[in-house]
Amino acid sequence: MTEARNPHGWTRRRVLATAASGVALAATSGFPMPAIAQSKKLTYWGGLIFSEEANALLTDTIMAWGAANGVETEVVMINQNETVQKVSAAVSSNTMPDALDVGLDLLLLLSRQGVFSTVDDLYKKIGDAHGGWFEGTDSATDTSAVAGGRTGIPFGVNGNLLLRRKDLLEPAGFAEAPKTWEELVTQAMAVNKSPVSGLGLALSSVGDANVQVNVLQSYGGRIADDAGKMVTIKSEATRTYLTWLKDAWDKGLFSPGSTSWDGAGDNQAYLSGQAAFIANPGSVGIAAKKDDPELFEASAFSPLPAGPMGQVSPITPQTRAITAASPMQDEAKALIEHLAQPEFMNAYFNVAIYGPVLKAQEKLQAFDGSNSILVGLLGLAQNGTAPAAPDVYNAAWADLSSNFVIPKMCQRVVVDGWDFDRAMDEAQTQGQAIYDKY
Amino acid sequence: MAVSPARPISSRRLRAGWRTRLFAYLLVAPVVLLIVGLVAYPFLFAIWVSFTDMVVGSVGQFVGFKNFQYLAGTATFWSAIWNTVTIVLVSDVLKLGLGLGLALLVHQHLPGRGLFRSFLMLPWAMPAFVAFLTWRVLYQPIGGGFNLILTQTGIHNGIIDFLGQRSTAMASVIAASVWRGFPFWFVSILAALQSVPRELHEAAIVDGANTWQRFWNVTLPGIMPVIIVTTLLSSIWTANGFEHVWLLTAGGPSDATMVFPVLAYYGMQTQRIGEAAAVSVYMLPVLGILVIFATSLMMRREE
Repeated sequence: MTEARNPHGWTRRRVLATAASGVALAATSGFPMPAIAQSKKLTYWGGLIFSEEANALLTDTIMAWGAANGVETEVVMINQNETVQKVSAAVSSNTMPDALDVGLDLLLLLSRQGVFSTVDDLYKKIGDAHGGWFEGTDSATDTSAVAGGRTGIPFGVNGNLLLRRKDLLEPAGFAEAPKTWEELVTQAMAVNKSPVSGLGLALSSVGDANVQVNVLQSYGGRIADDAGKMVTIKSEATRTYLTWLKDAWDKGLFSPGSTSWDGAGDNQAYLSGQAAFIANPGSVGIAAKKDDPELFEASAFSPLPAGPMGQVSPITPQTRAITAASPMQDEAKALIEHLAQPEFMNAYFNVAIYGPVLKAQEKLQAFDGSNSILVGLLGLAQNGTAPAAPDVYNAAWADLSSNFVIPKMCQRVVVDGWDFDRAMDEAQTQGQAIYDKY
Repeated sequence: MAVSPARPISSRRLRAGWRTRLFAYLLVAPVVLLIVGLVAYPFLFAIWVSFTDMVVGSVGQFVGFKNFQYLAGTATFWSAIWNTVTIVLVSDVLKLGLGLGLALLVHQHLPGRGLFRSFLMLPWAMPAFVAFLTWRVLYQPIGGGFNLILTQTGIHNGIIDFLGQRSTAMASVIAASVWRGFPFWFVSILAALQSVPRELHEAAIVDGANTWQRFWNVTLPGIMPVIIVTTLLSSIWTANGFEHVWLLTAGGPSDATMVFPVLAYYGMQTQRIGEAAAVSVYMLPVLGILVIFATSLMMRREE
């Protein structure tokens, strides 16, 4: 009878046993790493920026280069705000791309770990072919001390410019950009009338708020000593800076919400017509040019104002790096060399928000003076200060910046109402604890 | 009396028993592997990492309790403890009040209660990202919904920077968090209310109990186990919650709304993975106790 009902002998037990064996086999066979043949595909992680045209141009150029040179190529655009997380995961799981766009902080950190190849030959070759590197870029991206050679090929610099509403300021009698931070307050006062706030400077715990470090430095304040070891935040110069800040705050010049803005807070405040001044790398200008040409025409760009000790306007170089473990070193180098060609860079500068890194790039059409943002960025590339200067740019500095110690000190003063000494004491202690780790 | 010798177990039966056990192990093996791979390993690895100075790109060296000592020495860490406790306690109390009140209301035979019930679930059904960004827009100092209402109705002249000042930031985060989370309480308590035997209420009425006495002596004891489990689960979720704080204030202004998950995220941003892991591990004992309580209570209820 049984045989007749179940001619193949598939009892319940046999079905379950087969299923269990199958699942177990599948599960266990999945764990050993399969011996996948080394892929010859070149993967490039590009830094996703505010300009869609720039992102598309980079992707298309890399893909076209791959097609022309018989190299299978894949481009993945990574949001620059997520680069650290993505690269961290990729380094840990050994899934780094062959080459990528990377900011200076991460370049330095990973170069110390030997993640990137040294590319001195390529750096020299590109420099020689394009009139040499700008001095600031050259010194800022030198990783020789930590990696035994250069690991990044710079492709652009950015940094904060002062963006102002000339349509509001000129009728108030201010045709020229403010030269000092004190003058900035005076001009901001003149146009500070709801819904427009004079100062759209972030005071929250975001990267934009680190412009306060530059203000502090221009007042003579320092984060640490010349050795980059002993934190020196608590000083009379810092007190003078905090006096400037508190005065501007008490006058109601800062935009409402500036103490809790996210990274786009100042952009939104300016683009919605609620701020007369902001410090921005140019992304707001790009957005205004595209979506609100009237606002763009009513805006002007200038370098950051100076303090009693001079102007502090640091450049932030962006670089391309090659992963040391990549089997496609030569292809990656050839690609990066190709991406330094003037035809591509001219088109890229026109739609991106970067200043030049190579002296020959000064003569590109992009920097002929017709685009006020690019004029500002050219000035930044030529005259901008080195990252962290007059402080020492090191890992502790980067850690302190990422912890927003100075913006938090500002928040203690304007949000919590702490006196200057207490706020400086906390920043000093917190800063020293960070520096002591290195 | 002669004792008959124990019947020897045949080797065939032994083999069958062994095969049955092996078969059982094989059946659960995939799940065990998944749990080990996806839960146990990352969990134990995170604990290990918290005792190292691991940064991005480096495996790190064992540093003992250095990360924990460093964190304990920062003011932000203590703010995170205080804020996390505040958000959990205040949110739970408000969610309980709102959830219980609405559940009692909807439990009545009211017209359109099915529609009302579905409507109340909307905040929970909405993606957290959308919900909290919407709240952020509502809180905007200029053009935000709340400020518009306050100024248009003449309740308050001038702008309130809800998220930008210490006095209102935490309350604003809690309000948004309660709005998003109360439907879970509502639906849990409503289900519990429906399981309280009607006969108990009828008997209480016969005994002359008034509405309050019936609620206090019949309804509340009947739904108390559900309230306790809901409280524990909600506390765990709120303490672990990231998006409500991150999207609204990112822990600011100053550290007025800093909580543990956001603090851990900041640790990741500075590329110091060991410290970020230590922040998470600091939360473990409290969350572990809550998890054990919640699990044992739920298992007891099932029994």
